[in-house]
Amino acid sequence: MITITQEDFDPGVYINAARDRQVGGIVTFTGIVRDDGITAIELETFREAALQELEAIRDEALSRYAIQSVDIIHRIGTLSVGDHIVLIVVGAPHRRDAFRACEYIIDRIKETVPIWKKEYTNEGSRWVPGEHT
Amino acid sequence: MKITVRAFAQFREVVGEVTVLDLPQRSGLPVLFAALASRSDESRGMLFDDQGAIREHVIFMVNRKRVPRSSLDSIILYEGDEVAIYPPVAGG
Repeated sequence: MITITQEDFDPGVYINAARDRQVGGIVTFTGIVRDDGITAIELETFREAALQELEAIRDEALSRYAIQSVDIIHRIGTLSVGDHIVLIVVGAPHRRDAFRACEYIIDRIKETVPIWKKEYTNEGSRWVPGEHT
Repeated sequence: MKITVRAFAQFREVVGEVTVLDLPQRSGLPVLFAALASRSDESRGMLFDDQGAIREHVIFMVNRKRVPRSSLDSIILYEGDEVAIYPPVAGG
């Protein structure tokens, strides 16, 4: 499942959903809001393009690695320290490709998916600079 | 012809979320960027460097397809096209 949502999610639900007779390992990445002296962050997206890009990244991962399933849930809206930002769940017959695929997916998300973060502190706000042009 | 421009993140804050531009037929992206820049000094400063070149950190899509910088001068826009502009992404 590929989702962009304002709602929180329970990683356990998606981990259980990835169980399958052919799956011997499930690797997950959960991104959470770190306390960098912020009061909140706001995530903005170009939703239609971001969904298209997340689907493309999932398809790339499925073709590059021996994995069975990919789920990506990315949140938008206003989040506080400790809140979930993103969840990636990769189910595979064997662990090695599951780990590799999961890392590949989060790296690609940070490179190309049109989502931006604005950090709020007591002094004001600033956009988190992206690294890839 | 009417072209819709959607801007995101700090670009949205300067240019506005949605802008409909009326451009000459078969205009390209440089014409569109010049039209956006003419709307305010802040827009110009955000989109163009001091030499008048489109800044490195400006990313653009036409009809939700990323356009590489090398194609900046070769794309022709058509009535109803949607151009998105945004800074480098920071999700995940």
